[in-house]
Amino acid sequence: MPFVETMTPRERVLAALARKPVDLTPVSSPTNVATVDLMDLVDSYFPEANRDPELNARLAATGYTELGFDSIMPYFTIIQESSALGCEMQWEGKDNWPTVRMSRPIWKGPQDIKIPRNFLEHRDTKAITGSIEILKKLYGKEVAIIGKTMGPWTLGYHVFGVEGFLLMSIDDPARTMECMHKLKEISVLYGEAQIAAGADALTFPDHATGDLVSGEYYKRFLLELHQEMAERLKVPLILHICGFTLDRLDYIAQNRMAAFHFDSKNDPAKAVQIAGGRIGLVGNINNPLTLYARGPEEVRAEVFRCMDAGVNMIAPECAVPLATKLENLLEIPRAVRAWHQQHASNGSAKKR
Amino acid sequence: MTTPATKPERISSVLAKLGQCIELVPSDPLCQSITVGLYEKEGILTVWTFSKKEAAFLRMSQIRAQLIALGGLTAVPRTTNKVNFPCGYIHTRPLKFLMMQAVEKPPDYVLPTSPVKDLKSDLRFGFTVEQRDGQWVYKVTAEGQAPNAEARVRGVVAGLGRYGEMEKVSETEIAFVCGERHDKLVWLLLPFARNVSSVEDLLEAAALRGQMTTGTLGFAPN
Repeated sequence: MPFVETMTPRERVLAALARKPVDLTPVSSPTNVATVDLMDLVDSYFPEANRDPELNARLAATGYTELGFDSIMPYFTIIQESSALGCEMQWEGKDNWPTVRMSRPIWKGPQDIKIPRNFLEHRDTKAITGSIEILKKLYGKEVAIIGKTMGPWTLGYHVFGVEGFLLMSIDDPARTMECMHKLKEISVLYGEAQIAAGADALTFPDHATGDLVSGEYYKRFLLELHQEMAERLKVPLILHICGFTLDRLDYIAQNRMAAFHFDSKNDPAKAVQIAGGRIGLVGNINNPLTLYARGPEEVRAEVFRCMDAGVNMIAPECAVPLATKLENLLEIPRAVRAWHQQHASNGSAKKR
Repeated sequence: MTTPATKPERISSVLAKLGQCIELVPSDPLCQSITVGLYEKEGILTVWTFSKKEAAFLRMSQIRAQLIALGGLTAVPRTTNKVNFPCGYIHTRPLKFLMMQAVEKPPDYVLPTSPVKDLKSDLRFGFTVEQRDGQWVYKVTAEGQAPNAEARVRGVVAGLGRYGEMEKVSETEIAFVCGERHDKLVWLLLPFARNVSSVEDLLEAAALRGQMTTGTLGFAPN
């Protein structure tokens, strides 16, 4: 018997974030799915597409209109707030990511942290809030619009430099926490602005990644702070941390956020087991090896692996490489439907 | 291909016609940074861009002309952006290098067909080709003097195997899996085959461009 779709993409995503039953596992990326081909298609290119609301909305919408994902994510990068704070930027071109020049930090300690008065009016913060307003008008009834506000840990890397920030966390944890408490106000300010513009949910990247810090760091510096964010930002939050995170997932599952966007370095079945229903899981299709370098067959195998494990929303593990082949992205929603079809026809459909 | 005046199709319908993307050049330096893909379906290769810029349509036929001139591919009649291999086989790996050259070199670029200087000695590499047991066999030759000339030739043979998807016949000989002649492809690949480690570094750097990872973000130790 074929399965029947009964929900809109927006209903599906919001239900999954609330860990309620869905008709079909949503395909919803909390990070970028724009590619160079999509830029050509809609005549909207990096870096300008990150700096102009109209161009941004045009490119972001393709995630839904062309790829068939259940959500739209207009914040492609991780740099909008930092640019508005005054960090030195490297904007790059169409085929590469704009980055913060972290080797030239703008601040040294908590005394320097000041939110510019025009922070929300800066072109690089306004690009996203303006885009969300446009997208909400055009697609807001049918598809989930996901915003993004950077967490204080990531902002710390940007404004103090990675090395400086990590050394501070070792040498003077109290000073580090003082910085975090000041920086979190930027996360709240920009998050609330996106909610006001129409965001249904927010991604909350805070790169306490296994490549740089231990799992205990998450508990020590971030757990309570993330719980506070989940209280203060009144939409479902999706924490994003790249890299290996199974060693901190038990703590992450206690942060009261709706979901955790996790990397392919983590086995999905183990992640589901550790999360134990305390937090939803989103991910974890590999970017560099699968989506970038292989083909639809391999993409389908990874989607099935996540579906079999019980991952709540299917997505690439992080922002997709800008030169990802479109056939691989199109395969993700196709594979999800195929999995449901397979399980419906053999009578083993799971209530998801 | 679709002209700018044609009503746009959904990309899923376009891709269903084009087939599998074999190679994607993210930014064409000679045509307003458009992205150019090479797609394969049922033995036909299509040069394609999703860009609707006016110059893009002509640029596709220009790139096709270079695939023919530099790689010895054959134009599909009554098309402006389609080619195939005369042997009927799809040599996927060399297409990567052929596309790079066809898109990134000027449209009047002519493939050098004279021996290629070794980067580590005074040797100059070339090849001869002869038909043997129903297949065309390429013998890599080295002009000049070098203490390790034989090893250098073996290195070039290995490079051609890697980038040309060719099969080794002897220490100095190699053939395409289709058994046919593709002299232009061999001339195109020789400069890459003589210098595998540098080419690998370049390919890795190109692959990392546009990837967002803890490493490229600067969130990982060097």
